[in-house]
Amino acid sequence: MKINKLYRILTSLILVSVSSSSAFAVKIGVLHSLSGTMAISETSLRDVVLMAVDEINAKGGVLGEKIEPVVVDPASNWPLFKDKAEQLITRDKVAVTFGCWTSVSRKSCLPVFEEHNGLLFYPVQYEGEEQSLNVFYTAATPNQQLVPAAEYMMKEFESKKFYLLGTDYVFPRTANKVLKAFLKSKGVPDENVLEVYTPFHHQEYQTIVAQIKKFAASGDACVLSTINGDSNVPFYKEFANQGLTSKDCPIMAFSVAEDELRAMDVPPLVGHLACWNYYQSIKTRENAAFVKSFKKYCQAKGLPGGTKRVTDDPIEAAYFGVYVWKAAVEKAKSFDVDKVRQAVYGLKFDAPGGPKAMHSSNQHTLKPVYVGEILKNGQFKIVWKSKGLVSPDSYSSYLHTDGNIPKPTGGPNGDGSL
Amino acid sequence: MVASTTRFGPLSFAKVIPLKNISAFLIVFLSAVGVAGGQRETNATDKVSQVDAPSNRTLLLNLASGDEDLIKQTIERLARTDDLQVARFFDNYSEDKVVNWPDEDGNARIFVKGETEEDNDLNEFVPLFDPLALVPFLLDGKHVKPELWEVEDIAPDRKLKKLLGLYSPDSEIREVAVKSCASKPYNLDALPLLAKISETDGDQKIRWSANESILLIRMEGKDPDHSDFDDRDGSIRQLSESKSLRALPRVVEILKKLQEGDQEFANLTEEHRAEMVASCESAIENIGAHQDTVDRSNNIFQGISYGTVLILMALGLAITFGLMGVINMAHGELMMVGAYATYQMQLVFGHTAENPVDSYFVVALPVAFFAAAIVGLIMEWLVVRHLYNRPLESLLATWGVSLILIQLARVIYGDNIGVNAPAWLSGSRAYWEVYQDVLLPYNRLYLLGLCVICVSFVYFIMRRTKQGMLMRATMQNRDMAESLGVRTRNVDRFTFALGSGIAGIAGYGWTIIGGVTPDMGQKLFIVDSFLVVVTGGVGELAGVICSGLGIGVITKMIEPTEFGDFLMGPVWAKVALLALIVAFIQFRPSGLFASKGRAADD
Repeated sequence: MKINKLYRILTSLILVSVSSSSAFAVKIGVLHSLSGTMAISETSLRDVVLMAVDEINAKGGVLGEKIEPVVVDPASNWPLFKDKAEQLITRDKVAVTFGCWTSVSRKSCLPVFEEHNGLLFYPVQYEGEEQSLNVFYTAATPNQQLVPAAEYMMKEFESKKFYLLGTDYVFPRTANKVLKAFLKSKGVPDENVLEVYTPFHHQEYQTIVAQIKKFAASGDACVLSTINGDSNVPFYKEFANQGLTSKDCPIMAFSVAEDELRAMDVPPLVGHLACWNYYQSIKTRENAAFVKSFKKYCQAKGLPGGTKRVTDDPIEAAYFGVYVWKAAVEKAKSFDVDKVRQAVYGLKFDAPGGPKAMHSSNQHTLKPVYVGEILKNGQFKIVWKSKGLVSPDSYSSYLHTDGNIPKPTGGPNGDGSL
Repeated sequence: MVASTTRFGPLSFAKVIPLKNISAFLIVFLSAVGVAGGQRETNATDKVSQVDAPSNRTLLLNLASGDEDLIKQTIERLARTDDLQVARFFDNYSEDKVVNWPDEDGNARIFVKGETEEDNDLNEFVPLFDPLALVPFLLDGKHVKPELWEVEDIAPDRKLKKLLGLYSPDSEIREVAVKSCASKPYNLDALPLLAKISETDGDQKIRWSANESILLIRMEGKDPDHSDFDDRDGSIRQLSESKSLRALPRVVEILKKLQEGDQEFANLTEEHRAEMVASCESAIENIGAHQDTVDRSNNIFQGISYGTVLILMALGLAITFGLMGVINMAHGELMMVGAYATYQMQLVFGHTAENPVDSYFVVALPVAFFAAAIVGLIMEWLVVRHLYNRPLESLLATWGVSLILIQLARVIYGDNIGVNAPAWLSGSRAYWEVYQDVLLPYNRLYLLGLCVICVSFVYFIMRRTKQGMLMRATMQNRDMAESLGVRTRNVDRFTFALGSGIAGIAGYGWTIIGGVTPDMGQKLFIVDSFLVVVTGGVGELAGVICSGLGIGVITKMIEPTEFGDFLMGPVWAKVALLALIVAFIQFRPSGLFASKGRAADD
């Protein structure tokens, strides 16, 4: 008797839980670390993707269907990215996933997306050297960030010596390879380029800054920094401590955006530079509206920071990634990955920072390039803008000088062919 | 040879007194006098000669033109008016506060902007002010505040900013501008101004730097009025005499060009060439020796500074682990509590980079101590007291507590917070120049002081108070102490609270040199703290001091050493250090100063 009753209760509970995850909504996956080292950066991406989903659902959804986000937390644990991606595709049967930040997390879950022919929108600047038919890269490749920045330093600051300082992992290592190849192609001698790496969370920069000081004594040096995460704080602080300013030796950073500046003591950084494809301070009506909606969203949902939240390049890229997918689905009139993929190629769209376009074949996005100077209030002053959109190179022409570009990977046939 | 009235030799430091406030006041006062030129009344803000005011305003409109040459000329004309309002406008212009809000016909209108305001709907507005008089700009009696995206920022380009900095009444800005004149790209328009500053500026360091910049430009032959052999050779000699470190790489470059027969020096006579080579070589030797002294002093100071940070971190742990035998894996989190308590004080006092309220930092010290002590007490009462003789369990339990504390911090404060250092510890002039080019930053000196105070405080408590005596008694022989009437439970609580409080102070000190995140305890502190305590000898405070300093200095000595092309750097230095410590522990398992403690008895 009792067991019967128990069974009945259990089955009704199961039925309720299954039906409440409506079989009729279209599911999308959100694969960002909400805890662990990368939480600082990735939680904002989850927030803006959910905001985009709310906006789209309020206007009737995609092809008349509401979208249901499935949020998972891979906790900055790279193997867990693979498991969670597997879960999203096979169990939740998501139509598309928006996720990842570090290249190692993306590379961990790439095999899963390729095996199941899934779709991932990846919104963070990275080192290039990848072209998977199962990923759309909505952020900068080296020729849309690193190379224009180095060119800017050579032209504006007449920099002749370059100190390449990075955190020790794949993005800075590959980025510096591209930078070195570029600098060499511009005739910069080897002894004018120094390359130094520090581990994650490294805090002790006294010796390195002393070395930079000597390097920059000739008045024509700059630092190209790929330092990531919390190591930025002690680095910039020590830099200012030893009497160096952005006028003696400017630091051009590739991993410092408005969201990172929120967590730092900004005064030592004022005057230093960064290079992105979007800044919160872009002065257009559309961008002002986007910034405003994001702040209101954070306030309404009680997210930490509330109205003090900021938007930056990865946040804009994550946001327009959702809209690019929506536009592609509507163009293809289908949620099927292969049809959506074809519809994305060459798609032109309006992002908060301005009009952009998807490349017609290499999975990447055409974006404008901006160089910004850090202001006391944690925002950027735009000091240089590229003429129009810069077309992305998935494989850097500086590293593949013989013109032999590797083939794409993945796709419906699993071998890079369509 | 350059005839110079000021003696340009190595900086004399007898006169450099780091009394920041008094010298700052003097400099502002002297500069204000200099700018006003003693010719005009400088009292009234908007009572500047009515004849000039309209023409100054019309000149300002040129700044929106986007024409670099026109802008440069406009700045020069404005500078010649020697007007205090103009000097203030220049400061605002350099700080990116000048905007153009065109009228309906598209004509430019220049304003200075105030702090961005937000309405309830989160729209952003920027209040506009008259650029010279700095009074609110009114239309129909209301202060005009257009939307943020409607106004265009007008900011000087880099070259112009350097020039503008030279006019600033603020000595920090002036010094940076003077030095940056010798960084590429050179702004030759600045030369006459530099010459004037090198003679008349009130600050000795700025005069010296101005002279240095002039000579550096001259040495490279870029000064159109002084570019013959005597000028260039003379500059090399003067820079050598003053031991200018900035000259060193440039002299090396010049010597290389001379030896390779570069066409820059193709038309020198043999005699001149030999003379210049000799000047270069002697300069390189002279300045090189100075560079070595500077490097060595800096290295020693950096080692001591790193050592004091380690000592601060390890001191609290030395008390709980060393004296009580409790393996407290939450020690890093207690430091985090101190750091967040400091941040909370910053919020309470409303201190930001734009509006500093520096008193928060003084108040934060006791607050951090007590906050961490209270958290430590709670931890002791709930968890640790059950586990005094069980090291493995206390390790696991305190590890669990550390995870709880980390998540608590994350939930309350989020992952991203920015702690702003107080104004007197930050800024580009916040160092004590002990000897030419040997800069000791104020914030590291503050940490040194803090460390000394903490160590003395602990020593005082341990050796000179009754409580300390009870602590030592309980540690040496608990049963005996108990039978003599010592309340050992209270002593345990007090000791644990003391250790935790010291950890809180370490966290407070950390906020001025590093970043604050919820997992800072786990990632940054815990391993190094245990390293110092174990090497120093569990149970003896003197051991912590010696091992902390030792580890700090040795790491900093190893880091810059090079083996051919291979620089040790921080990663390999850490590896080498750990190897040394492991070897050391083989020979002396109980550390530097092994002594009697509860753990030793067992």
